[in-house]
Formats: sequence, structure tokens, C-alpha cells
Amino acid sequence: MLDPSRMLPLTVALPLLGAALLVVAGRLLPRTANDVLATAVAVTTCAALTVLWLRAGDGRVVSWAGGWRPRHGESVGIVLVGDRLGIGLALLAAVLIVAVLAYSWRYFDEPPERHRGSFPALLLLFEAGMCGFALTGDLFDAFVFFELMGVCAYALTGYRVEDSRPLHGALTFGVVNSLAAYGTLLGIGLLYARTGELGMAQIGAQLAGHHTDALLVTAFVLTVTSMLVKAAAVPFHFWLPDAHAVAPTPVCMLMSGVMVELGVYGTARIYGTVFAGPHGIPAHAYQHTMIGIGVLTALVGAVMCWQQRHLKRLLAFSTIGHTGLFLIGLGLLDPHATAGTALYVAGHAGTKAALFGLVGVLLDRHGSVDEHALHGRGRELRLAGGLFLLGGLALSGLPPFGTGLGKALAEHAAGEYAGWLTAVYVLVSAVTGGAVLRAGLRVFGGAGPAPRRSHADIETSGEGEEPEVRDPRRAVPLTMTVVPGLLLAGSLALGVLPGAGRAVAAGARAFGDRAGYLADVTGAHAALPPPPPPTAWTGSGLLLGLLSCGLAIAFAAAAVWLPAAPERALRVLRRPAGPAHRFAVVPLRRLHSGLLGDYLMWLTVGMAALLLAVGAQL
Amino acid sequence: MTRNTRTTVFLVAAAVLAAAFTWACTGLPRFGTDTHPYGDRAVRAALAHRTANVVSAINFDQRALDTLGEESILFAAVLGAVVLLRRARDEDRADPEPRRVLPSTRLLGAALLPVTVLVGVYVVAHGQLSPGGGFQGGVVLATGLHLAYVAADYRVLRRVRPLAVFGALDATGAGAFTALGLAGLIAGGSYLENVLPLGTFNQLTSGGTVPLVNAAVGVEVASGVIVLLAQFLDQAVEITSPGHAGPVQNTGGGAPGNPPEAS
Repeated sequence: MLDPSRMLPLTVALPLLGAALLVVAGRLLPRTANDVLATAVAVTTCAALTVLWLRAGDGRVVSWAGGWRPRHGESVGIVLVGDRLGIGLALLAAVLIVAVLAYSWRYFDEPPERHRGSFPALLLLFEAGMCGFALTGDLFDAFVFFELMGVCAYALTGYRVEDSRPLHGALTFGVVNSLAAYGTLLGIGLLYARTGELGMAQIGAQLAGHHTDALLVTAFVLTVTSMLVKAAAVPFHFWLPDAHAVAPTPVCMLMSGVMVELGVYGTARIYGTVFAGPHGIPAHAYQHTMIGIGVLTALVGAVMCWQQRHLKRLLAFSTIGHTGLFLIGLGLLDPHATAGTALYVAGHAGTKAALFGLVGVLLDRHGSVDEHALHGRGRELRLAGGLFLLGGLALSGLPPFGTGLGKALAEHAAGEYAGWLTAVYVLVSAVTGGAVLRAGLRVFGGAGPAPRRSHADIETSGEGEEPEVRDPRRAVPLTMTVVPGLLLAGSLALGVLPGAGRAVAAGARAFGDRAGYLADVTGAHAALPPPPPPTAWTGSGLLLGLLSCGLAIAFAAAAVWLPAAPERALRVLRRPAGPAHRFAVVPLRRLHSGLLGDYLMWLTVGMAALLLAVGAQL
Repeated sequence: MTRNTRTTVFLVAAAVLAAAFTWACTGLPRFGTDTHPYGDRAVRAALAHRTANVVSAINFDQRALDTLGEESILFAAVLGAVVLLRRARDEDRADPEPRRVLPSTRLLGAALLPVTVLVGVYVVAHGQLSPGGGFQGGVVLATGLHLAYVAADYRVLRRVRPLAVFGALDATGAGAFTALGLAGLIAGGSYLENVLPLGTFNQLTSGGTVPLVNAAVGVEVASGVIVLLAQFLDQAVEITSPGHAGPVQNTGGGAPGNPPEAS
């Protein structure tokens, strides 16, 4: 059974089987038994993925479902292809599922009666969707697992039915994502009509015999739109903060930690395998488009993140900012940037999931996630507070965290492409990290004067939240602090252990090697690609990491303590910032209206803009 | 943003999309040509596995992994509906009052129920041979059962539809599909491999694992749709929110808001 090509489909089958078992046995077993069963399945899947990660080496594991291997270069079946990046993402998802199961061990008051296994079962189905999506080499199959991932995420987002807001958030999330998925289906239909193939490698090989025309551009835009919606790229990002604000904290850990990043991965995988060949979408057109979207996403995410006082929305916008950086990293089509981004994604997942977990502790204790209302009320949560501030520093790229190493490698590669991109990396990580530090200092340290209450219409306060747990008198469950601590430690280990970086670099090389992918799927042999890029810390990387970390601390300190400065000094500072705030920030905040109609308008506008942008560059 | 701005911007963007899609469609192959690369291969592969219904051969054999994903989506959707439509703490349950049903409706429903269920079973059972299969037959089975609601009333439906059993059957069907895949992995070496004897072409037992996977999907779809409809019916008929007077919905004998007495 330890043949890697046999193990590849197990990573989907195990969680599916576990979910079915939980639904059947869930109503009979006590809660603890359900949790143990779900955790056992998740740990086994993790172990299988770890073995696959080790066995994949620098190459790929190829598995034909149903044994429909190609004859004379043609097959009717579905191929699963695992390289280190795909397997690594699936492993990341599996690790986060274990973490979330452990975190929510004592989190919810009581699971719904008669359906005790439903929450862990949905988590396992979510895991199956993510693993299948990361490992499939077939475009239609990718769509199917993408949808599975989506359906579970919508249901999990609306899990707290006592309040009407979660249902509203889940509905927005579901409608926007489903409409974009229709686009992908149309795109796959166009590609299938032209090539008669559904496998990514097979479509890519067939497209070489055609020309770059309207059909190809339209198919490209339609296919990647749903990926970009999941990745929360601007202007497709509106659903994300609304969904994160209302979803249970453990679900936010998964969505921000890995689901959004899978959208970035999907975009890069589909472009690289299907559209990157001769007579495809030219590399420069893809690079310019992705860098454009990435920079826009990163800046909007950072600005909006800084403006939030609702802690979950703050973290959600910081995810958007970082996704922008990931989009730039994978849009450069450079193995150095890919390796850096892969590390960045893994480090970010640990950090962001930990931060969400710690916000969950606040929600548990105080029934609020509002930075202003919680001022100083987190003082007694010493450990959680320390971890939260550490998470803020890690988010800003403090060496030697994995986020820092990933950022250093990606920004170095981006700087080679265009110098100003380095500034985007530094600024965005500094602002998002600074926002977290600001909130941490105020909530856990009680630092600075208590912010004045404002009731502006553009603000979403985090007050009046239903605590996700019922009994406020009990102590905070140990797992709710231990799990975030372990996640942060994992993020640190990624930057410290040299093995992790080397393995990711080899994966990045395989990820960018289109000829090798096509050859592996058709059973031919291709020449080995050039050696993997180096992934060690460099002097400039360390300095830039310290710079963005220092900036983050400076921003946070300014926000927390400046209001205590004399009024005259403040007026001098406010004058130049006034117009920028009035003409840029306020309108931007008003665009995040919470209205589904607005979001769908932006979805259409984004697709049209993508079509025009790619079409104009041919 | 005003409504007008929103509509105008949307229409402009939608026009761009429509123009691009129309232009793209001019690049499609013409209708009526005789080159169908995937179709030819799929038919050959279906015949090689002695499965008369090529669509089922694609769904349950050649691209069975897609189907596993799709029925998992249904499974997850049903589970999601159960979770989202569960009774919240502030909602009460009230027993619906029975209403009079026209005798003709009652007669027709009672006569059609067994026929519809039989048709459903037939469509599922012959999935490997003729058009139909687990998905289609499953939906027929589930809707057939709901004739009890149309012909009699909600309490009769509840008696013929033990939700705990169907919930478990739904999960069992989904699990059986996954487990059949594992059997293929153990016996044949590939996940979802068709490892059973292929039988004689156009016989009920032909197609190897296709009839089994098909049956698992039939059970899952039928039970899943029953559980799904039950959640929505519960919301409409049984559950009352605070601030609303008791259930005002019609409890049998036709579409809601159209009481049978009126006719």
C-alpha cells in the first residue's frame, strides 16, 4: 500500500470515508468519541501526505484513477499528479484540519442534537475537497473538488444559526463564488470543444496546434475567474471579509490559512499547465496582469486592514493584502519567487490561523471582537496576549519566521523584475503586521488612551457578537491557547530548519517545469530542469525583514500613543492626511457595502477588465 | 453607490463579456462534423467494459472520480442544509393541523406513489443498460415518496419517511462509493478500478462495478433529496419563530397558499 501512486487517491478517500462514518455513527456516539474519530482520520490523512511528500522527491507522483492509463498517448480517465507544491498544500490543509479539530475540541457549547458528527464531518469533506483540488491533474476534476470545497465552506460559514448575520455572510459567499464557478464551467466547455480533452496536460498539449484567439482568451479569463474569486483578488474580494466576520473562528483559520491560497495555486497551476505553451497566453501578458491584480489586491487589503476595528475583519483584510503578495509571487513565473511564495504561504497559514485562534479566545471570554470596546480587557490573558503580539511581528515578516524567509525570497525575486515591487512587499507586510500589533497592544496591554467611540456609517464594530461558547464562567480551554502556540512554532520552524526551504525549492522547480509535467502525464521522459533555486537567508533579506518589522512597530506605536500627544502637534499631522483620507480611504470603505448586488457588479466588472487587459496585450 | 450607477456599470461590463463570449463561440468547431476525439474513445472504452449505457460507463467507470466528487458535493450540501436549517434555540416546534384533501387528489396520489417508486427503482437498476441511473432514479424515488404529502398530509409523510434512517442511508451510500473505490485499489492497484467480472453485454449484471457504484449513488441521491426536502418542509410547516403566530402554512393537498377548500 505504500506505493506513492496508490496512496495519492487515499488522501481524498480517507476523509470522505471518515465523513460518512461520522454522520452514521455521530448520532449514536458521545461527543468525545466523534472528536476522537475525526481526529484519527485527519491524523491518518496527514501521515499519508507526509509519506507522499517524502516520496515525491524532486519529481511527481502520477496516479490514474480507475487504472485508465493512456494507450497510444490517449486516455479517457482522470489523472492525479502530485508534486511537492501540490502535496505540500494538501499537507498544509491536513495539518490545519488537525489543528482546527483540536482547537474546537471544547469550543462549541453543544453540537446540534441528532447531528453530533456534522461539524467534524463537514471539516473532513472540506479537507477532501482541498486535497483533491491540490492533487488533480484534470481540469474538470479540479472544478468538481473546487465546488466541494466551496459547498463545505458556505455551510461552515453559516454554522451559527442563532444569529441572522452568519446566514447572510454565507449567502453572499455562496452566490458570488457559485456565479464565478459557472464562468469556469463555461471556460472548460470552450476548451473541451476545441481540444476534446479535459486533462490539464492534455488540453495544454492540444492547444499548441491552435492559435491564440478570442476563444482562448475568453476561456482563460472564464476559467481563472473563480480561482481569483476564491483567492479574494480585487475586485473579487468583497465576500471574504463579510464571510470571515461571521464564520466560527475555527472556520476562519481554515479559510484564511489555506482555502484562499488554494485559489492562487489554482490560477498558477491552470495557467502553467494549460495556457502557458506555444500559441497559448504569452508569458508577459500573464505576468503583467497578475502583477497588476496582485499589487492592487495587496494595497487595498493593507489600507482596509488598517482601518478595521472588528478584529476578524482586520485579520481578513490582512489575508487579502498577503494574497496580493502571493499573486505577485506566482505571477512572476520565476522559480525563486515561486519557492519564496510557497514558504510565505505556509508561514502565513501558521501565523494567521494562530491569530484567528487567539481572537477566538477573546470572543470566548468577552463576547466581543471589537478593538475599541475590548481596550485593556485582555490584560489577564497574558499568554494569549504574548502570542498575539508575536503573531503580529511574524505577520510583518520578522526573521527568522517562515513568513520572513518566504517574504525575503519572494521580494528579492520581485525586486529583480521591478525594483518598486520590493517596496510593495515591505509596505504591505508592515501595515498589516502593524494593524495586528496595534490591536494587540490595545486589547491585551491596555496601551494608550481608550479610543473614542465613533458611530460612522462606514465602520463595522465588532460588538454585540454572539459568543460562540455558552458558559463564560469556565476557564479558557487549554487547547485554545496551545494550538495557536503550536501553529506559531510551526511558522517559526519553517524559517529556521534549512530542510524545509530546500524541499520547497525543489518543489518550485518541478512546479515551473511544464515540459516535465506533460511528459510525466503522457508517460514520456523529459530532460531534467535546472537545479533548484537557493532558499537560505541573505543579508538583504534579513535587513528588509527587520525594516518591515520595525515599520510595523512604528505604525502601531503611532496609532496607540499619538492620540495622547498635545492637540496642537496632532493638528499638524492631521492636515496633510485629511484629503487622502477623505478622497481615497472613505470612498474605498464605502465600496465595501455588504450589498450582494454591488458585489456581483464588481464580479462582472472584474471579468470584463481581465478580458480587456489580457486581450490588449496580445 | 446608487442603484442606477450600479445597473449602468453592470450592463457595460456584461456587454463586454457577452461580446467576448460571442466572439469566442465563433472559434468553436462546426456542428455536424465527424471528429469527436473524446466521444470515440469513451464509446470504445465503454464497449470494452461491456457497459451498454456509455453515459454510465463515463460516470461510474471512466471518470468515476468526478462522480465521487459530485456525490460528495450532494452529501455535503445535504449535511450543510441539515446544519443550517436546524432548529435554533429561539424557535418552537408546533404540530401542523391536518386539512381536508380533495378525494380525487387523494386517489391519484395513492395510486401514483407505488408506481413512481417502482419507476425510480427501475431507472436506478437499469442505469448500466439504458438512459438513467443512480442520479436520475434517485430523484424520482425521492419525489415519489412526497406524493404522500400531496395526497394525504404532513403526518403521513413523516410516517413513511423516518428521517434518522434516511440520514444514515445517505451517508451509507456516500461511504459505499468511497469504499468501492478502495476495493478497486486493493484488488486491482488503482483507486476506483473496475475489478469485478464484466459479465455479458446488455445484461443486468454487466459492467463490473458499474451497477454497484450506480446503486450506491441511487441510495445516496434518493435519501439525500428526501433529507434535504425534509429540512425545508420542516422550516415551512413545523418550525415557528418567536413573533410569528403558529404555523399558517398549508399542510397538505397542494401548493402552499392555495388551500384545497378554495377549489
